[in-house]
Amino acid sequence: MEITEQKKGSVVLLVLTGRLDAGTAGKLEEKLVGLIDAGNRHFVLDFMNLDYISSAGLRVLLMTAKKLKGLNGRIVLASLKDHIREVFDIAGFSAIFPTYDQQDAAVGSFQ
Amino acid sequence: MSQTIEVRLQNRLSELERVGEVVESFGEAHDLPGKVVQALALCVDEVVTNVISYAYDDQADHQITLRLSLGTGELAAEVEDDGKPFNPLDTPPPDLGRSLEDRPIGGLGVHFLRTLMDGVEYRRDRGKNLLVMKKKLPVKPAQESRECEGGA
Repeated sequence: MEITEQKKGSVVLLVLTGRLDAGTAGKLEEKLVGLIDAGNRHFVLDFMNLDYISSAGLRVLLMTAKKLKGLNGRIVLASLKDHIREVFDIAGFSAIFPTYDQQDAAVGSFQ
Repeated sequence: MSQTIEVRLQNRLSELERVGEVVESFGEAHDLPGKVVQALALCVDEVVTNVISYAYDDQADHQITLRLSLGTGELAAEVEDDGKPFNPLDTPPPDLGRSLEDRPIGGLGVHFLRTLMDGVEYRRDRGKNLLVMKKKLPVKPAQESRECEGGA
């Protein structure tokens, strides 16, 4: 899995490419923990190029959301492919994570 | 074309990518619906992840066997490992209605098995765990349309 990072105002935008499974989830967790420790509180994860997610990936998202909630921060998601949306629905994550069809709308939700 | 394949995996999380490739190429070879293949790929991943993460107390190399087979109207996947006895079906289902703060982390992998598969069985046999997952294949649209024509 590749992670590219951009800053858009107060928002950190991470674009994930490839697979978010138990073998790669640690890389995302490390990235997010580092960014939160550096003082960032607003996150958009763009799943436009994400092909796959398992419960290990969901676990990192849930941990991050919990952590940010305690810091008055927030994480939102953008551009979920249909089969990834389905995994979110089955896991009950669609009710927990705000999701947007477009990256711009996700970033704009923080303004 | 073979209706069954057997793949040996090492107990390393980097093998999960290969698990995905194996399930996908099996699906392509047999022209299986994308939804079925995606569901099976996720469930096999969750089972293999559990085995690699929790089945072994030592640091040694272990072999995990994955078998995929296509029967009449049904797809089956078996995961066999020589780790500690563990029946994933003993795990209680997660409470999906809970709010973010109360939501426990974990238990989702087994929830996927229960939700996405049509049958899951666990056996402990000769020092090995065997988990069998079954997924029914939808009736092919071509057959449905023939039936419609016949009935019209």
